Parts: sequence; C-alpha cells; structure tokens
Amino acid sequence: MKKRSSYPVVFVAVAIGATLAASSAFAQSVDTARIEAGGQNDWLTYHGSYKSYHYSPLAQINASNVGNLGVAWMHIPGKSTRGLQSMPLVADGVLYYTGSYSRTFALNGATGEVIWSYFPELDEVLVARQTHSPYNRGAALGEGKVYVGTVDGRLIALDAKTGKVAWDTKLIDSQKLTVGFTGAPLYAKGMVIIGSQGGEWPGRGPIFGVDAATGKKKWEFLTVAGTDEAMKTWGGDSWRTGGGGGWMPGTYDSETNTILWGTANPAPLYDWSGPDYKTQGARPGDNLYTTSVIGLDIDTGKLKFYHQELPHDAWDFDSAVGEFLMLERDGQKLVVHPNKGGFIFVYDRNFAVKNVWRLVQNINFVKDIDPKTGALIGRRDFTAGKVTDPPLCPYIGGGISWNSGSYSPKTGLYYKIGQEWCMTLDVQKTTPVTTPQAQLNIGADFKITQPPGGEIYGHLDARDPVTGAKKWEVRYPEPPIASLLSTAGNLVFLPDARGTIHAYDAESGTELWNHNNGTGHQGGIVSYSVGGKQYIAVTAGFGGMLSDDYAATFGGVFKSMPRDDGALIVYSLK
Amino acid sequence: MNLHLKKIALLSAVLGASLACAGPVQAQSATPAPDNEALDVEQLFAGTCGFCHSDGGRAAGKGPQLMNSQRDDDFLRNRIKHGKQGAMPAFDGAFTDAQIDQMIKYIRALKPREG
Repeated sequence: MKKRSSYPVVFVAVAIGATLAASSAFAQSVDTARIEAGGQNDWLTYHGSYKSYHYSPLAQINASNVGNLGVAWMHIPGKSTRGLQSMPLVADGVLYYTGSYSRTFALNGATGEVIWSYFPELDEVLVARQTHSPYNRGAALGEGKVYVGTVDGRLIALDAKTGKVAWDTKLIDSQKLTVGFTGAPLYAKGMVIIGSQGGEWPGRGPIFGVDAATGKKKWEFLTVAGTDEAMKTWGGDSWRTGGGGGWMPGTYDSETNTILWGTANPAPLYDWSGPDYKTQGARPGDNLYTTSVIGLDIDTGKLKFYHQELPHDAWDFDSAVGEFLMLERDGQKLVVHPNKGGFIFVYDRNFAVKNVWRLVQNINFVKDIDPKTGALIGRRDFTAGKVTDPPLCPYIGGGISWNSGSYSPKTGLYYKIGQEWCMTLDVQKTTPVTTPQAQLNIGADFKITQPPGGEIYGHLDARDPVTGAKKWEVRYPEPPIASLLSTAGNLVFLPDARGTIHAYDAESGTELWNHNNGTGHQGGIVSYSVGGKQYIAVTAGFGGMLSDDYAATFGGVFKSMPRDDGALIVYSLK
Repeated sequence: MNLHLKKIALLSAVLGASLACAGPVQAQSATPAPDNEALDVEQLFAGTCGFCHSDGGRAAGKGPQLMNSQRDDDFLRNRIKHGKQGAMPAFDGAFTDAQIDQMIKYIRALKPREG
C-alpha cells in the first residue's frame, strides 16, 4: 500500500517542480550578456552561445548511463511540410521551437505542455510558388521576445510570455523576389539580425539589422555588390540578379562589436565562362560578397572586413554555413568556419586566413586551397557542355551541409559531418537573367553520381578544429544531414538520415546508445536542464532541398519516408 | 531528335497575353522574351526545372523522372500550373498555357543522352 500511495505523491511533486521551473522563465529576460555566457541549463541562441560550440556543459547524462536514456515527452507541431529543420531554444525551463510555415511553440521543458503557440498567416499563393519553402530553421530570444522570420519576407517578434505579436516587420518584397526567410535570426545588443534566401534566386541577397524593441529596420547590407568595391567585381548588369544572401544565422563578436556572417552563392550557380571568368561568362568577375565570410558593424551594418572563400564560385559551394567557432589557441583568438565545398577555414577574428584543411575526401573543384593564404589552387572552371570525366565533386548538396557540427572544450575536438558524393553536369550558356523573376537560375542540368572509384557515404569526424588532425571517424551509407551535439558527459549525439539518433563516446567514437525516431533527421538538437534534470531535445522529420534527393538516390527506407511529417522528441534518463 | 538544337518558339503575342492574365497575387512573370525571340525549353530546364528533375528531366532527383512519364498531358499541365505542396512550386503566373504546352512537348520528346 505504501508503495502504491507514493506514486501520486511523487508525480505531484515532480509536476509542481516542473511547473515552477518553467514559470520562472517569466521572471528573467534573455540579453546579450546571458547569451555570451551560454548558461549551463539553457540553449539561448541557435548556435548555443555566440561561441557557436553546439555544446552543453551538462553531464547528468553521460557515457556511463546513456544506455538508460528514454523518451520523456514528444510534441507534434502538425503541418510539417518538408519535415522539421529547426533548432530548439530553451530559457529557464521553457522550450521554444518552430516548424514549417513558421509555426512557433512555447512548451514546458519538463513536460511538453503547450504554454502558447503562434501560427502566422502567410501569403499562401506566394508560398505555393516558392521552391525553398515552407520550412523554418529556428527562432531567436532576447528582451522578453521570440523572433521568427517567415517565407513571405517578414520578421515577427512575439511576447515570450504570451505568444502575442509585439511587432511584425515586412523586410523583403517577396512578391517581386519570391524569396523570404527560412533561417533563424540572431539576437545581439538590442538588434535582431536576419539574412534572406538568395543563391540561385535572382536578387541581391540582403542581410538586415532590426531594432529588437520596435521592429524598425536599422540597416540593410546587400551581399551582392553591396559596396563600390564589390560593384566592380560584377561584369555588365550581372550584379542586378547575382543571388547571394545569408540564409543561416552567424554570430556576434562582442569584443569587436561585429556580426560574423556567411554568404550564399552567386547566380547562375554554374557558369560557362571557362578559365577567363574575370572577363567572360554569365557574371564576369569575383562576384563580391558571395561565397564569403563578412564582418558587419552591428550598429550600422557597415562592412568591416571579409574573406571570399571561393572567388567567382562556379560550383555552388557557398559560405552560408552559420557556424563560427570562437576559439583560443596559443594566445591567438581564432574563428573556424566550414565551407560547403568540404574545406574548413581557420581565421583570426578579422578573417585573415590562418589555416585551411579538408574534412572531405572527394573534392576536385579545386586541386587545393593554400592553407597560408586561402588562395584557390588549380580551380576547375567549366565551359558550356558536359562535365562527366571526372564528375564534379562534391555534389551540389555539398561536402558540408548547412546544419552545424559541435565543438567540445572538454575533449578539444570538433565533431563534424562530411559528405562524399559527386555529380555530372551539362553546363548551358543560358540567356542572361537581367531582372528578378520567379524562376531559379541554375545554369546546368545535373545528376548525382558516385565518387570516382567508390560509393556515396557520409562520415562523422572528430578532429582538431585548427589543424584538422583526425582522432576518429564513423561512416554511414547515407550522409547524415542534421546538426550535432556534444556534452560534458563525454557524449556526441548524431541524429541520422534514416531516423536513428546515435550517442557516441566523445573520446573514442564508440557507439553507446541509439534510438529509432521513426523518420529522418535534418534539424537541430540541444540539451538543457529543468528542475535539476537534464534533457536532450531533437527534431525529426524529413523533406527539403537536400533530403528530397534521398529516395531516388538511396531507395530503401527513404522510399516510404514521409516528407510532410515531424515531431520534437525529448529524452531524459529513465 | 537532337534536343540540343531544338528551339521552341513562342510569339510575343502569347507572352503579352501571359502578362495580361497575371493577377495581383500571381507569380512574377518570367523574364519576357523580346519580340520574335525563341524560348528554349532546354534552357528553362537548365535554369529552373532541372534543379529537381535531374539530367534535364531524364532521371529522378528531388522530383520524378519526366522522360517516359506515364502521366497524361492534363496531369502534367495541372502539376506545372498548380504545383504540389511541399514538393513543386506553382508556375501558373509565370507561364501561359501555350508555354506550358511547349514544356509538355519537350518532356514527351526526351530521350537518353547520347554518349
């Protein structure tokens, strides 16, 4: 009898504790200092903190007990067209996350109980015309608000307590340009920063700085020909429709008052210029500031410094990945940034190149990149016609995709997914696109293919982030494309494409636990603590511009995998 | 048939009709071709459609293979115009019915690449 009666008592105590823990969120506000500190129990910004480690210092769940990890609760957001791609955020026991169509939820982090939800009314006719839509990759927290972008070109602030709209600012004429926002915003120093889609879309790829309190636009930086210097790097009128954009959130360096951001590729993706790309082709010149990392003054949006990772990117291997790992090594302050082409760039805090190393084996768009200067060596510029022998490596999906790796300050290792795949092309000398239009601007027919002499595969590497020295590697038959999480519990979590989430020993790569979530992963994963209990939260749900390739390429479980479904799954120790 | 050389011409009058038909919430029209200039559907695939329909429509990619499609013309026309939620955008504001018919002709004529 005593045992029986104790259950409800325990349950009530846990429920009260969870409720109190969750409600304490409303007593505090998220600000720049708090994000900078990257509090132990929270996940306050897309990349975890401004250091972009995607690391949790929590160790309650660790290598010795992870076998006891089980599902604590789930949440189904509904209408998950193209799956779930977002990174949850957590502040003081409340979990915030977004789904397709920018549906936004605030949930009790301990129980999953819905505190509030917000479904914006979108321009459905516009959404129906978009290719890179209607997924959303996350929100930002700051000053008592939740900030989320929309695919119809708006940035919306919601009251974090109630979900009521605080302001709703239209930033892009999406009717004209067809693009909007899919990436998460970044909050820092009273500003909300968000970059537009771009790339293969004809436009000039703006990044916006918006007043967090009022929603008023304070500045706009054009990633295509945004300065006089940059204008000279676009031949003819190609700057009018150059693509660019900055569709993943970067980070903030408080020491220099600078926003660090990665930019997308120029359009058309594939140019027929041949080696004379400075004067010939669809977009003659280096095409600044596409496929670049840029430093913008947070107050004014003025460009302070940049490095163009791939001048005249003719392969769609852009720099839009939002990770900027802020490290210190031998007294130097460094920034580590992955490029879609499969290289990892190491910079100082002003983007002077310190090293470049390869994460991916199958790379042939260049012979190499000079690790001292970042200069491309032996670049492969196509003329119109077939590219088959050898195929272009990597595939358009990239050697590195947009989701984030993880750096553990405890092991000193950078955990990152590499993708090994290639493509054949038929490059076309297309008619110049001179005005923004509703269509893409690709510039070639293409088809995925195996790397020369091998199979397509993906790999999780544990590397030194500065030198690239590899400690261990785990391989997968299909490249995983979700974000990673490492924790102080000596664990690395990898949610794979088939639907299984794996936990590995962070030092050795030994698999310690896995669980099948029933559908593929392509979004975020975080850890947090409520009421003294650690949780792991991951989004599951497949579909989108990369994962849509998997059914035709790999068959198997991907043939029947839904592309309009998803769930948030939260784990704790049993 | 050498598709590389096959150009499908559309008269400027057709393009004019397309612009006139576009309502205020319809898609931005495709860049209008100058008078009497040919519209090359193969280029259209290299610019837009081929992003999902691999190898110019000859292989499955993000979207299905179009070469040898068993779908009838009405299905293809409807899919191009209205799209499919979460899979294919709607192009009804961007192209006229006559232009969409030319795309269907291109799809029907697709053959494996030589060599």
